[in-house]
Amino acid sequence: MTELEYIDLKECILAENEGDAQEVRDLLKEKKVFLWNIMSSPGSGKTTFIIDIIQRLGEQYRFGVIEADIESTVDAEKMQALGVPTVQLRTGGGCHLDAAMVMEALKKMPLDALDIIIVENVGNLVCPAEFDVGATLATMLLSIPEGDDKCIKYPLMFTVTKAVIVTKMDVAPYFDFNFEALEHNTRRLNDDLRIFPVCVKNGEGMEAVVNWLTDQFSSYL
Amino acid sequence: MHELPLTKGIFKSVMRKAESVDAAAINRVVLEIGVLQDFIPEYVQKYWDYISRGTIAEGSLIEIRDKDGEAECGRCHTHYNITRANMFDVHCPSCGYEYGNMLSGNELRIVGIEIVKKET
Repeated sequence: MTELEYIDLKECILAENEGDAQEVRDLLKEKKVFLWNIMSSPGSGKTTFIIDIIQRLGEQYRFGVIEADIESTVDAEKMQALGVPTVQLRTGGGCHLDAAMVMEALKKMPLDALDIIIVENVGNLVCPAEFDVGATLATMLLSIPEGDDKCIKYPLMFTVTKAVIVTKMDVAPYFDFNFEALEHNTRRLNDDLRIFPVCVKNGEGMEAVVNWLTDQFSSYL
Repeated sequence: MHELPLTKGIFKSVMRKAESVDAAAINRVVLEIGVLQDFIPEYVQKYWDYISRGTIAEGSLIEIRDKDGEAECGRCHTHYNITRANMFDVHCPSCGYEYGNMLSGNELRIVGIEIVKKET
């Protein structure tokens, strides 16, 4: 006769990643480097936004970039053209970055010569929210064409981000994006969340983002 | 598709535990998934079947239990329950305020496994 036995486990599935994320945090604290994780759907304008931020703040801070892409290296090439130390991580089909991959990238970066490392995460609203990469600050971009209902579909993302930067405001007249609905739904889960409507192309709203970011950077650096 | 890497992690933990208790076979794996997680049970089972083929876990069942979350009122700091159904229309039971901060709900946990012991 076979005997069945039930064994309690109480094990967090992401425990290993959480340990790795803590190692990333410890290293960055020692090196006084701020790690900024930027998440969003594909095509929301992450690369364009990052280039604009570096152009605006590049005199004040020494930036580095970690680019994550499933296959290509096109974004990393754009960053290198700016003269910013860049490490490309190709996830080879994987839908997110984890803390161990970020640690590998950090080992290839001149940490003593950097203040801020921007992580351009894989375009995806699900997995990147699950995997803490050890970031000092996590923010997300949400572009006008994606709509205001993403919070209802991907609630976890909106609880791990400190700010939602709503991009492509110049096309807002052509879409039914409802800012009140976005604020209403996100604050249900994250009352402290900041929402910044911007258009990188014409500069609308960027000053407010830059001021807020500068506060975030200076409270850590 | 994000269930795949997570299912691989679950498999690693479950096999480690099963070996440490001398299991001959694994029958059932019980997971607890927070209300904020987007985790499709059918996918997890499908990936599990694939990963566990040819091991003592082959043919085992994944049981997923939803776990409610907890939020803290943004005004009076009372704690209240968050379910998938009430997430976007819940109000603080104490002061009626509609906004808050999630304190939990992102759990992804293995709570237990049911095994067949090796015959001694």
